Amino acid sequence: MSEIAFFGAVEIGLVYALVALGVYLSFRVLDFPDLTVDGSFPLGAAVCATLLVAGVNPWIASLVAALAGSLAGLVTATLNVRFKILHLLASILTMIALFSVNLRVMGRPNVALLMQDTVLTPFYGLGLADHVVRPLVVLVVVVAVVLLLARFLNSEFGLAMRATGVNARMARAQGVETDFHTYTGMALSNGLCALAGALFAQTNGFADVTTGIGTIVVGLAAVIVGETVLPARAMLWALVGCVVGSILYRLAVQVALSADAIGLQASDLNLVTAVLVAVALILPRMRLKAASKKREAAR
Amino acid sequence: MITVNGIHVTFGRGTPLEKHALRGVDLTIPEGQFVTVIGSNGAGKSTFLGALAGDVIAETGSIAIDGVDVTRWATPKRASLVARVFQDPMVGSCTALTIEENMALAAARGRRRGLGFALRGDRRRHFRDRIAELGLGLENRLHDRMGLLSGGQRQAVSLLMATLAGSKILLLDEHTAALDPGTAEFVLGLTRRIVEENRLTTLMVTHSMRQALDYGDRTVMLHEGRIVLDVSGEQRAGLDVPHLLALFAKQRGGEDITDDSLLIG
Ligand SMILES: Nc1ncnc2c1ncn2[C@@H]1O[C@H](COP(=O)(O)OP(=O)(O)OP(=O)(O)O)[C@@H](O)[C@H]1O
Ligand SMILES: [Mg+2]
Repeated sequence: MSEIAFFGAVEIGLVYALVALGVYLSFRVLDFPDLTVDGSFPLGAAVCATLLVAGVNPWIASLVAALAGSLAGLVTATLNVRFKILHLLASILTMIALFSVNLRVMGRPNVALLMQDTVLTPFYGLGLADHVVRPLVVLVVVVAVVLLLARFLNSEFGLAMRATGVNARMARAQGVETDFHTYTGMALSNGLCALAGALFAQTNGFADVTTGIGTIVVGLAAVIVGETVLPARAMLWALVGCVVGSILYRLAVQVALSADAIGLQASDLNLVTAVLVAVALILPRMRLKAASKKREAAR
Repeated sequence: MITVNGIHVTFGRGTPLEKHALRGVDLTIPEGQFVTVIGSNGAGKSTFLGALAGDVIAETGSIAIDGVDVTRWATPKRASLVARVFQDPMVGSCTALTIEENMALAAARGRRRGLGFALRGDRRRHFRDRIAELGLGLENRLHDRMGLLSGGQRQAVSLLMATLAGSKILLLDEHTAALDPGTAEFVLGLTRRIVEENRLTTLMVTHSMRQALDYGDRTVMLHEGRIVLDVSGEQRAGLDVPHLLALFAKQRGGEDITDDSLLIG
């Protein structure tokens, strides 16, 4: 793997680490299987790119993009909590709706960011190569998010949110407003995914409505890889695991794609990811079965 | 002090499975009284406790705790007044969280939860001291997941959790039913101690006539959604298990109850 390909993989891994953190919040903390992500990621990219073209400050554009994502998360949470629509279905509804919304936001299927200033602009030309600057800047954002999120989940409010996902009945008996925590968690989760979309648009120089497809699976893959290589229970380390998982996943993909012998193309990525996640979900079950068979045999 | 006035609860209204589970329950429990609740399966005991806790909202009638009308309050809001321990140890705690995290969750019951750390040094020490009182050696396992504890240990911790934040009433729904006799005895003893120390107004559902008479100061029997027996004081002191069983059988129209789970104890 060339140096540029390596840094490129790390960069995209770091961008998607934010998605992984969002997915960790919804799937793991809230136990809310949320597919909104496939819409909130491109929403973040679309909002950010559109604002940048309009000349808005890139940090403000990124922040607004994150807020737009939070709103999408709130829509899904409302459909589920208030109107009792099954979470998966609720999130699919939002996701489909967002496809149209994203087209409206951009006014066309894609927007190129050629001359616009991005959050990266001030850091280019400080002596480091561009392909190193990009992952570094994203890394700083990711580290800040991880620290803030860990602090949040260890707070009384965050603990109540975790309890909401683990045992909502008990949480309510302890005075936790579980609905409110679901809204907050979903807003946070999709806000992070949209922030990832905004950074994606700025590091890659474009926003496209189709970039969202499969985001949820990639995020989930990162979470699962992270849990495998860093099986931690302390909040901070679980979050670091998501980031590490996301980077490792991208590096693995890069290796697979650059090995000519395997003959994979970039367009095979979704297939590879889906297979990887499926295997990761099946393996623990197989292991359990094998273990119980062994026990039976020993008896 | 709990004042319940003519509450009715119907599940699945308008469906073929409609069930009128509470049919006008009136009950006044003075501050600090310990009431045991008996009744056959499906009598409405859990529904009644659920109505006090806010899990089910009464259609008619009213519920007041310490003079505050809570009839329309949802569970989280009532949690500032109500502590509970469930029958199933899995329901009453967060198995995926650690013991101290569960305790922190319970200690904040009825308080606004802010962004301060849930587990600070002084709180950890406080939890350690409190859990040591149980005498189960759990003070060294605060970082263990709740799910690793046995059912009895978990019920003991759940009881302790019920006292970490102030509350007016304690609801126990067959909280020893899932335990072996020895452990059940231990948890009941702990219950008595905690209720006395904290002077909690308590309702305890049990299927054991023995426990119903041995614990607390008053016994009520529910049958088909109504209170059919309410004894306390001398009248109760003069009752023994066969008496209670006879009263019970009478309420059920004299039918034979030898196969009923109520014969335990
Ligand atoms: N959520 C519900 N939906 C429909 N019916 C219910 C519901 N909860 C309870 N019931 C019905 O209401 C009646 C009273 O149930 P409840 O659980 O209060 O009985 P119980 O006295 O606690 O019985 P047990 O001794 O078996 O615990 C039963 O007929 C039960 O089937
Ligand atoms: Mg019951």
